[in-house]
Amino acid sequence: MTFFADFCIPFIVGEIILFTAIAIKYIMWLKGLPKSDKKLILKGAFSPRFFTATWEVIRESLLHHRIFKVNPLLGYMHMSLAFGWFLLISVGWIETIAYLGLKMIPLHGHVFFKYFIPLNEITAHKPMFDFVMDFLLLFVLSGVTLAWIKRMRSRAMGMKKTTQHISFDRIALTALWFVFPVRLLCESVTSAIYGGGSFLTGGIGTLLAAGINTEILHAIYEPLWWLYSCALGIFFVAMPFSRYMHIFTEIPLIFLRHFHLRPEAKEKSYDNFEVEACSRCGICIDPCQLQMQLGINDVQSVYFLRDRRKNRLQQKIANNCLMCGRCEQICPVGINLNTLRLNSRTSMRNIPNESRYKYLKNLDRSSGEGRVGYFAGCMTLLTPNTLSAMQRIFDAAREDVWWADKNGGVCCGRPLKLSGESDSAQKMIDYNKSLFYKHNITILVTSCPICLRIFNEEYKLDGIEVLHHSEYILRLIEQGRLHVNYSTEHTFTYHDPCELGRGSGIYNEPRAVIEAIGTLLEPSHSRKNALCCGSSLANTAINDSQQLTIARNVAEDLDNTGAETIVTACPLCKKAIARGATHQVKDLSEIVAANIL
Amino acid sequence: MINFGFTINKPRTIDLNRNNLNKSNEVIREMPELQTCIGCGSCTASCTAGNLTDFNFRKVHTLVRRGEYQGAYEEMNKCMLCGKCRLVCPRGINTRGVVMLIKRKLGDF
Amino acid sequence: MKHVIVIGGGVAGMQCAAELAMQDIKVTLLEKKSDTGGKVRGWHKLFPTFTPADEVLSGLRHKMALTQNITTKTGCEATTITPQKVTLSTGESINCDAVVVATGYTLFDAHIKEEYGYGIYDNVITSADLEEMFNKDDVRMKDGSTPRRIAILHCVGSRDEKVCQRHCSKVCCVTGVKQAIELKQMYPAADVFNFYMDIRMFGPGYEEMYREAQQKYNVHFVRGRISEVSPNIDNRLQIKAEDTLTGRPLKMGVDMLVLLIGMKSNDHNASLKADCGLQCQNSGFMQPKDSFLHNTESNIEGIFYAGAITAPKNVAEALNDGATAALRVKDWLNKQ
Repeated sequence: MTFFADFCIPFIVGEIILFTAIAIKYIMWLKGLPKSDKKLILKGAFSPRFFTATWEVIRESLLHHRIFKVNPLLGYMHMSLAFGWFLLISVGWIETIAYLGLKMIPLHGHVFFKYFIPLNEITAHKPMFDFVMDFLLLFVLSGVTLAWIKRMRSRAMGMKKTTQHISFDRIALTALWFVFPVRLLCESVTSAIYGGGSFLTGGIGTLLAAGINTEILHAIYEPLWWLYSCALGIFFVAMPFSRYMHIFTEIPLIFLRHFHLRPEAKEKSYDNFEVEACSRCGICIDPCQLQMQLGINDVQSVYFLRDRRKNRLQQKIANNCLMCGRCEQICPVGINLNTLRLNSRTSMRNIPNESRYKYLKNLDRSSGEGRVGYFAGCMTLLTPNTLSAMQRIFDAAREDVWWADKNGGVCCGRPLKLSGESDSAQKMIDYNKSLFYKHNITILVTSCPICLRIFNEEYKLDGIEVLHHSEYILRLIEQGRLHVNYSTEHTFTYHDPCELGRGSGIYNEPRAVIEAIGTLLEPSHSRKNALCCGSSLANTAINDSQQLTIARNVAEDLDNTGAETIVTACPLCKKAIARGATHQVKDLSEIVAANIL
Repeated sequence: MINFGFTINKPRTIDLNRNNLNKSNEVIREMPELQTCIGCGSCTASCTAGNLTDFNFRKVHTLVRRGEYQGAYEEMNKCMLCGKCRLVCPRGINTRGVVMLIKRKLGDF
Repeated sequence: MKHVIVIGGGVAGMQCAAELAMQDIKVTLLEKKSDTGGKVRGWHKLFPTFTPADEVLSGLRHKMALTQNITTKTGCEATTITPQKVTLSTGESINCDAVVVATGYTLFDAHIKEEYGYGIYDNVITSADLEEMFNKDDVRMKDGSTPRRIAILHCVGSRDEKVCQRHCSKVCCVTGVKQAIELKQMYPAADVFNFYMDIRMFGPGYEEMYREAQQKYNVHFVRGRISEVSPNIDNRLQIKAEDTLTGRPLKMGVDMLVLLIGMKSNDHNASLKADCGLQCQNSGFMQPKDSFLHNTESNIEGIFYAGAITAPKNVAEALNDGATAALRVKDWLNKQ
């Protein structure tokens, strides 16, 4: 039997372009990896991590478990398309083997099996396969229907906004929409002419045979297969250049991630896997406060990744992000959106400049002596209530403290890093680090989550434990060095600062401290889902009134808890929320200091 | 530097007849709120870098707006972008954005 | 006899009540506090003439006592207002023929500008606190000693986006100069520094007072807004500003810092808007029908405004407003 017909040509061409393009991409990306990353891959490939990765591929690339968690309907849509199609292919494969035995059959032989082997040529018919294949086709078609609905009316799918696409995406999307309905028609007409098929194709086939003249059926038979082949071919050609590249990229990405490859401060080849693994599902659009509060619709992670992939990223898109991490924590592919945006900013703005910050040399404005160092942070100097509260807490715990920057210090470097000037940030890091070592501290406490984050992530302070003041205060209470007055009369609500919560994973410590003093009432958005105050240093694009709009919305959420005091643990959040709140806004340290026994 | 025993003083006058305001206009077009500056000096007073050097944000951006660009890029490079100025500005000017914008317009990225 | 309710017993309300009463109109004056006089009760002397505030208040009280037409109800607040009826927080309601709302303004809460250290450091006080000290003739630091160096900071809670107060409160500049003079009169040896963004001496005699402060009293004026206050080693207040006229950062230790707090729209205005249908401006102050010919009338016929409820005003302007509102009310009642 020869598995060839003219209509296969579009499919074959598409298939060749697809596999060539993907192969080129993979080879380029893998070749571009730094040595250290290549080593990690070699090490990971022969470790149990390989199997955990395989399991995740099944769970995420096929079943789309994480999307299910965010939005079950959307999860079903993705699962029916991915898992359904996968099953159609694999069951189809088994079907050919079952009929023809193990032998080399070209790919289009499997795909157009029904054309090459219509039922009347088969001696031992296996209706079980017909049923399974029909069932799977129905499964996929249900997903296609949902995709249509999502495009027409995203709200019906539980999404306020869906992604705006570009031309290649539209071509691929249109082709994809055609693939399965056309396949249904092809197989139904085949069944009408030659018999076979189960409840779906068989059923429609019977109806067609009864309703339509056999000559007409024969006349449309060949063109329909052409159409099917073209739809597949066009989809394949568009695929590597459209968002559907994610289908093939997510799989290696999962493996690489399990082998501990990560995006870093500077762009590198690995980033390609993350960037192209974005399926542009648009789940990141809805939680974005720039979209929710300000109606800014073109800067979200999905558009950022798209523009970066197309090499047409603009400063105004890259800079317009709060980096609050709300999208990152919801991204079903688990892309490191903030790190990617940061290294894009670095590529756009980082200019190594040796003469910069020479003035830091030999500078030391610190005061006091002690093993515990306290780094207030620039912003905390504008919230002296926090400073005086920390002083009272240190006094109550009889802690000797070295004050790093009470009289004005040097910035921690994170703001520069957030703006993409990472080489310059390194100068701040080096300066502060040597200052910490010079004063022999063993614990470094800071009240600013922005500083905390960079201390933890970039400073590599061997021998110095870095603590946020919430962690430090909790430790003092637990060690019995600080006694606070508990009263059910006091009601508090807590705002999770982005850099502290999603950024540093500190959710419980501040809450434990608050609960040692009074009752904690949670706002409707809290912990991982907490809102950003809008004043984030990461965003240099929005103006003051836009920041205020976001702050007012957050403040409203917190005011609505009815708590008498809004507590937060970041000077920037405090200032922002105070602009919009009707209740008093205090730093965690203030409520502790006010209730020391 | 060789000392010739004399210096050539730049004219002190800000000559708006001669200064080329193109860059200045571009800066203002992208950041119109910069025009709302009332020169209160809060930014400079709170400035972390200004605490350690002679960097004066208010003066530099005012000079840029007058078309006096010389040295502005180098001056802005003293800024640590810490953001205190944005927090104290009574006009709500996006000062960090201004620093980055002026560097972009006068620098090389 | 027609009956008008005047809400708010500050100078504008008192003036309005007195003028109406003299026109043979029955007036009920509602005051939230235990006594009439409003914010002026807390002031010592009024600029630019240094007239004791008490003099103005007793003059007004005297004028109100000329007829028997005024009933003053203290300790009561109005909740809903219509031209025909005012309901009090006690639940009682009073019928009337017209209403004048003269509830004034709210003083900006200096705690909000945390960087200035009000409520954190002992010797950071507000201009209102200073007036109270003047009234008690007891201007001293917390530990009882005399201040040798005093800084007065203008525009606290005015012209400041960060606290959502865009407007100029108008009276603080003049108050700052007045208080500087009073401080110098009290402590001639002390140094007094005014930190300002702009000095707005808009009224008669104000510029002359400013000049006198500079020339006669040697009050220092620094053009720059204080950005931070912190305690320094010898327990003084360390203040940081930019001396914008020299373009250099400035820091100094002072014994006392006076914050010239601005006039915020009355906190009550939001409920006037929500419950009574009266219109507010963006600043939160009530919106008069127009700024010229009907500046004491509201968007509701029969409800009038007097004083600082519509904008920051000095005492003299508030008094004028009270009288004007009384005339407008009378005109309107005659037309009914």
